[in-house]
Amino acid sequence: MQTQNPTHVVRAAEEELNPLIPHLAEIGLSLVVFGILFFLVKKFVVPAFEATYAERTTAIEGGLAAAETKQAEADAKLAELEKRLADARHEAARIREEAREQGAQILAEMREQAQAESTRIVDHGKAQIEAERQQAVTSLRAEVGALATGLAGRIVGESLEDDERSARVVDRFLADLEAIEATGAGTSGNGAV
Amino acid sequence: MSGIGSALLMQGSIRTEGGGGFTPPGPADFDLPPVFGGGSSFTLMGQEFVLGVTKPMLQVVLSGVLIFTFFYLASRKRAMVPGKLQFVGEEAYGFVRNSLGRDIIGSHDFQRFTPYLFTLFTFILLNNLFASIPFIQFPTFSRSGMVYGLAIMSWIIYNYAGIKKHGFVGYMKLQCVPAGIKGPILALLIPLEFMSNILVRPVTLALRLFANMFAGHLLLILFALGGEYLILEMGAAYAPVGILAWVLFVAVAFLEILIQFLQAYVFVLLNAMYISGALADEH
Amino acid sequence: MEGTLNGSLNMVGYGLAAIGPGIGIGLIFAAYINGVARQPEAQSRLQSIAILGFALAEALAIIGIALAFVLS
Repeated sequence: MQTQNPTHVVRAAEEELNPLIPHLAEIGLSLVVFGILFFLVKKFVVPAFEATYAERTTAIEGGLAAAETKQAEADAKLAELEKRLADARHEAARIREEAREQGAQILAEMREQAQAESTRIVDHGKAQIEAERQQAVTSLRAEVGALATGLAGRIVGESLEDDERSARVVDRFLADLEAIEATGAGTSGNGAV
Repeated sequence: MSGIGSALLMQGSIRTEGGGGFTPPGPADFDLPPVFGGGSSFTLMGQEFVLGVTKPMLQVVLSGVLIFTFFYLASRKRAMVPGKLQFVGEEAYGFVRNSLGRDIIGSHDFQRFTPYLFTLFTFILLNNLFASIPFIQFPTFSRSGMVYGLAIMSWIIYNYAGIKKHGFVGYMKLQCVPAGIKGPILALLIPLEFMSNILVRPVTLALRLFANMFAGHLLLILFALGGEYLILEMGAAYAPVGILAWVLFVAVAFLEILIQFLQAYVFVLLNAMYISGALADEH
Repeated sequence: MEGTLNGSLNMVGYGLAAIGPGIGIGLIFAAYINGVARQPEAQSRLQSIAILGFALAEALAIIGIALAFVLS
């Protein structure tokens, strides 16, 4: 027990210490330091942080707004371009259509013209042929009558002095001749045209 | 009793060298001798106080300087895209502002109290962390005087905020008369509410922080000194136990860091809740 | 040493007194964890309530340690 004496002395001294009883200087010091720190923080730190927050918020909002307007602009431009493109396409289609129509019309006109020309040429040819035929018939009738009369007079002699009778014979002969010619012209005329 | 023990305490502890038996750490380990000064002393409530600048006092001043320097530098740049320093500062500020201020006090009033809550949180947190920072290793708030100062201030602030809003009578009614209760039971409840809302709050606020820091540091001293004693004084048979004690010391030190943060958080959270309760509309 | 026991009986009393708040704090956080598990979106509301309850329960332990130091 003798060895424990120093420990007991210290223990007795320690037990007098009550940690709950404050050191007055510490109360004051903690309040003063806290107060100074509080005012410095309030004056410098908090406004700076708040300003940064506010600036960041406005910057983000502003950025969003700017992006929105940009987007709208781009959309409008795109729409305009698309509209222009569509117009151009439409125009091209219209022009192509027009050209096709025109071409068709020209073609039809040309065909019509050609048709008319050919018809005209054919008609003209036909009329000329007809006229020539008429001419030939007329001249033939006159010549054939004279020839036949001369020939027949020579064959039959003076018996044909009676004019009335000879005229009758010539007419009948010519009528026969015409009838034959008509049938012959009908068949040969088809080939001529 | 040198090595870890005195490194932990920095100032050395008042205890006998040699002699028989292990001297467990006690309140004396927190009563550090003055760094300078300390010629005269006075007596208060049976305790002898030495006039002089002690280590916790230096720590309080150091914490103030460090906090202001750090956050001043962090907030000075005000960049839209924060750098590392500014990011850390903004995270800390945003944490207090949003999760402690705005969510509890409410978006209407919290701006007024944000500087107070933010200063309080960083001040307590850094002073608590001093207990785990090498070469300082002493929790400032294990000195009860330091904590009493903050608790008195909190008490004044939340009561002042309430009285300013509701008037003295209205505030007393708000704090002491529970809602929806009528009749003679009020005679029982009003003193109880007054006790718990006005009188006990600052006491528990102060003692919670103080006791946690005090006990945590005591625990660390116990593991360090106990392990040292087991290894050096008790002989080789006890050495493994001493090493186990040191391993536990490391584990408890990490637990302490958590508690240091938690106590700072709880202190500020309760401040915010008391303020929000004082500002609450009449029910 | 040699069979003697040093220390204050106050601290034994405080140890006993700390059992109650210890159980209380355990119950509070059990309920908090339950609540968050059932309704994770209510976490932020429950957290402040839980911390408040924790503070109130811990106040008892704090009063205990204060009395353990004061009464001697």
